[in-house]
Amino acid sequence: MSAARKPGLAGPVLAAVGPVWRAARGAVRRRRVQTVVLGIVVFCSTVTIVVALGLLESVSAPFERVFAAQRGAHVVAAYDAGKVSAAQLAGGARAAGVKAVAGPFAQAAVTIPDSFEHLPPGPLSVTGRAAPGGPVDRVDLWTGRWPARPGEIVLSRPPNSHFSFLLGVTFTVREGSTFTVVGLAGSVSRSGESWVTPEQAAALRPGILQMLYRLDGAATDAEVRRGTAAITAGLPAGALLGTQSYLTVKRDANRMASTYLPFLTGFGVLGLVVAVLIVANVVSGAVVAGFRHIGVLKALGFTPNQVVAVYLTMVLVPAMAGGALGTLAGGLAARPLLDDVGAGTFSVAVSPWVYAATLAGMPAVVMLAALVPALRARRVTAAVAISAAGASRSGRGRRVQRLLSGARLPRAVSLGLGLPFARPGRTALTLAAVVLGAATVTLATGLSTTMTAYGQAAQRVGYVHTIVQTGQARQRETPPRHDDAVIEALLRALPGAVHVTADAWIDLHLTGYPEPIMGRFLRGDSATLGETLVEGRWLSGPGEVVAPSAFLGKHGLAVGDRVSLSLGRGRAEATVVGVTMDGSADLIQADWQTLTALAPTQKATQYEVRLAPGTSVESYNAAVRAADPGLYPVAKSRTDETTVAVIGFASVLTLLLGTVSALGVLNTVVLDTRERRRDIGMLKSIGMTPRQVTVMMVTSMAALGVAGGLLGVPIGVAAHRLVVPAMADAAGVTLPAFMVDVWHLPMLTLLALAGVVIAVLGAYVPARSAARLTIATVLHNE
Amino acid sequence: MNSHHDPGGRLVVRLEDVHKEYGAARALDGVSLAVHAGEAVAVMGPSGCGKSTLLNMIAGLDRPTRGTVEVDGQDLSTLNETGLALFRRRRIGMIFQFFNLIEDLPALDNAALAAQLAGTPARQARDRALELFEELGIAQRKDSYPAALSGGERQRVAVARALMNRPALLLADEPTGALDSRSGEQVMDLLIDLNQIGQTLLIVTHDPELAGRCAGRLVELADGRVAARQSLRLEGTS
Repeated sequence: MSAARKPGLAGPVLAAVGPVWRAARGAVRRRRVQTVVLGIVVFCSTVTIVVALGLLESVSAPFERVFAAQRGAHVVAAYDAGKVSAAQLAGGARAAGVKAVAGPFAQAAVTIPDSFEHLPPGPLSVTGRAAPGGPVDRVDLWTGRWPARPGEIVLSRPPNSHFSFLLGVTFTVREGSTFTVVGLAGSVSRSGESWVTPEQAAALRPGILQMLYRLDGAATDAEVRRGTAAITAGLPAGALLGTQSYLTVKRDANRMASTYLPFLTGFGVLGLVVAVLIVANVVSGAVVAGFRHIGVLKALGFTPNQVVAVYLTMVLVPAMAGGALGTLAGGLAARPLLDDVGAGTFSVAVSPWVYAATLAGMPAVVMLAALVPALRARRVTAAVAISAAGASRSGRGRRVQRLLSGARLPRAVSLGLGLPFARPGRTALTLAAVVLGAATVTLATGLSTTMTAYGQAAQRVGYVHTIVQTGQARQRETPPRHDDAVIEALLRALPGAVHVTADAWIDLHLTGYPEPIMGRFLRGDSATLGETLVEGRWLSGPGEVVAPSAFLGKHGLAVGDRVSLSLGRGRAEATVVGVTMDGSADLIQADWQTLTALAPTQKATQYEVRLAPGTSVESYNAAVRAADPGLYPVAKSRTDETTVAVIGFASVLTLLLGTVSALGVLNTVVLDTRERRRDIGMLKSIGMTPRQVTVMMVTSMAALGVAGGLLGVPIGVAAHRLVVPAMADAAGVTLPAFMVDVWHLPMLTLLALAGVVIAVLGAYVPARSAARLTIATVLHNE
Repeated sequence: MNSHHDPGGRLVVRLEDVHKEYGAARALDGVSLAVHAGEAVAVMGPSGCGKSTLLNMIAGLDRPTRGTVEVDGQDLSTLNETGLALFRRRRIGMIFQFFNLIEDLPALDNAALAAQLAGTPARQARDRALELFEELGIAQRKDSYPAALSGGERQRVAVARALMNRPALLLADEPTGALDSRSGEQVMDLLIDLNQIGQTLLIVTHDPELAGRCAGRLVELADGRVAARQSLRLEGTS
């Protein structure tokens, strides 16, 4: 041996490792199918795990991670520049409990004119700041550069290349200053809408001084309030204009991610369990299938430890390759999903620890799965290993086979039904994978059904076909030629219109609450709008309101309660008569006459039109534009973004988990075929046709598929029952019962077949391969 | 031995200039052979001479590179894989050196399997298997699993399985190769008895004693070719 000629420690080590490596390499080459299957299973499992862990991790604390990275401000305070000095603010910064402080930053308001098309018209807050960094609120300048001279401005925008066109854009504000956009940035603390140099801010005559604080204790609203009180304690009365707690920002920012959390948690956990189960099954199967080889190695003089090493090396080669490629592919697969989670509010990426954990963890799982049978191989003698090369025989397996041999079933079917009982351990692992695969399909189907129903209800599909808005001069649109009542009559008179409802969206107050709420007032055929009610009834006249459960919860109201609405000097009393499905906590809907009591001259801002079946929306909209160029009809969207995102997630994860489950089945059939080559050869020699061999092998897994479906469907239904209400709670929506109770017998029956489909898909290819097995050599030589 | 064939009778096996190559290796090189109904033919030769390949060709387990293989009037080259399986099911019985029984099934079910695959109902298949077990003297072992049977008993189960569908031709590949001498004797006697009641036999063996006792004719192969053919006159022949 060449290793033996090497001096020092390397010699004995190489002498021991060399044969192990050669034997393992030989085993890998000899079992190409097994090796490829193991590599593919580890690859798919790794992709699933990276996606699952990435999603779980990102939705569990996305705001917190970005907040920590930016050293976000626990409190953003705005002070009246005329009532407080920088020195006084510095005193507040030394208050007990303040950990870090930034500012004061001068803030001014400028006005974007109507004529500028790239930015929304109206006020824009401008903050003077020398640099994006500092002890608090390290603004993420994701493109461009920070303003270096007057006339340069950085705008606050989410990190999305969609906004990159703004770089270099120049605009003049109504106050006279001209700005060029030199960068785009984001502050998780929402500390500003735009930033300029301090000199530029000073020239804009700022009325506000902004201070940013990090506190020692800021876990709860009460702690933040206490900290804020300590900071502002010594300041002149009226100096503090307002504060913003990071907890408010966090709740708002996490709302989108929280919607996905329960659903992704369900899929993530399923993905992890299925992936680990399949890998354990494949790896242990690979070792068990190599028992005869183990005996041969021992007979050749391999030590027990070397035998273990050969087997661990043999499975680690494809596992490492599959794991590395899977980690890479998982990162790529997770990216578009994470973009949806961030929803433009903040940037989310798979954390490095997920990659590290997967790269190290997957080989560890493989090693552990291989270790148990490898240690068993270590213990057995060479003779036993060689003689035990065939499939192990369990007493239960024999009893079942005996029972089935007398059954009135085609013999290929009854033989197939008995096969799973010959290897109870392998069968249990395969069954578990099929169960979880079927559960995943069930959960995904339930979610898709719920979300499709939700999306249709949210978009009022079939109730409203087009929305007609009136032209606004400030948006450089043509104002309508007709007045409100005439427009409504005109829209009704156009061919194809069945129902027309006029809307006015107005800010008003609920008496006793300082924050404004949004009121939607309806005129015309409002009963035909298709609003989904989860409780109570729709509006039947003046003095009634309907509102979402989030609104009622926030204001401590219930159906039947009276509310008092105010708008300027107008007042109106109304009774809550129904709860709508909407998720808004600040929206009520009421009849037009209720609005008349509040604002008698208010006109409708848009009109919702339902068309007769068969009417072309495009034709109707063209007629609207022809009738009055100041009317802007838009076809009603039929898609809901959350619905699309959830169905997209569910489809991708179901495909991944279904594939992994099917691969687990495929591996089991490959192992069974390998172990039963002699039996299959004999059966073919006595006249079993290739079709019968295929039927036998597919039946062996289809039986597991039936069991997997029967067990997996209830698990999927239970997961749906947990996930859907949790998602609805997170989104602040109360779902009507028909969206939660989506299950019916035909659907459940079809879903129970999901297990069979997974099993048959996984079994078919190796079963066909078994049917084509060349039997001559097997029968004569073994 | 009395080989119960009628030289002018039905031709059960007809091989005409059969070649079989595995890459560059030539396993059979122009073998021609005829076996008539009721005949017992032994094929002998050293390891690697092509005996098993020849058997595979006749059983339809493998296809020749060129040449004609006809068994019981059926040209095997016209059959696809399913056709070959049905051909084996109906016309061929095979016994092997290592028995090839299914370990999960008791002896009777192992034998019944061949009939059940052909669509015979379970009860009827078991009745037929039991009938054969009684004839072969292993009826008392019908419920035993293969692992609990002696080598001779296992081979008898294999013979019963091979005879289940009343094959035109019984192929035996080293049928005594894995047996002790006593069990080997029993299997030899069994084969002789079968041939005497008209079963056509083709035996591949290394064992001159087996060939001498069971076969009426010997075909010797060497390097894939027929090296010699001879009729055997054995003890007990009339």
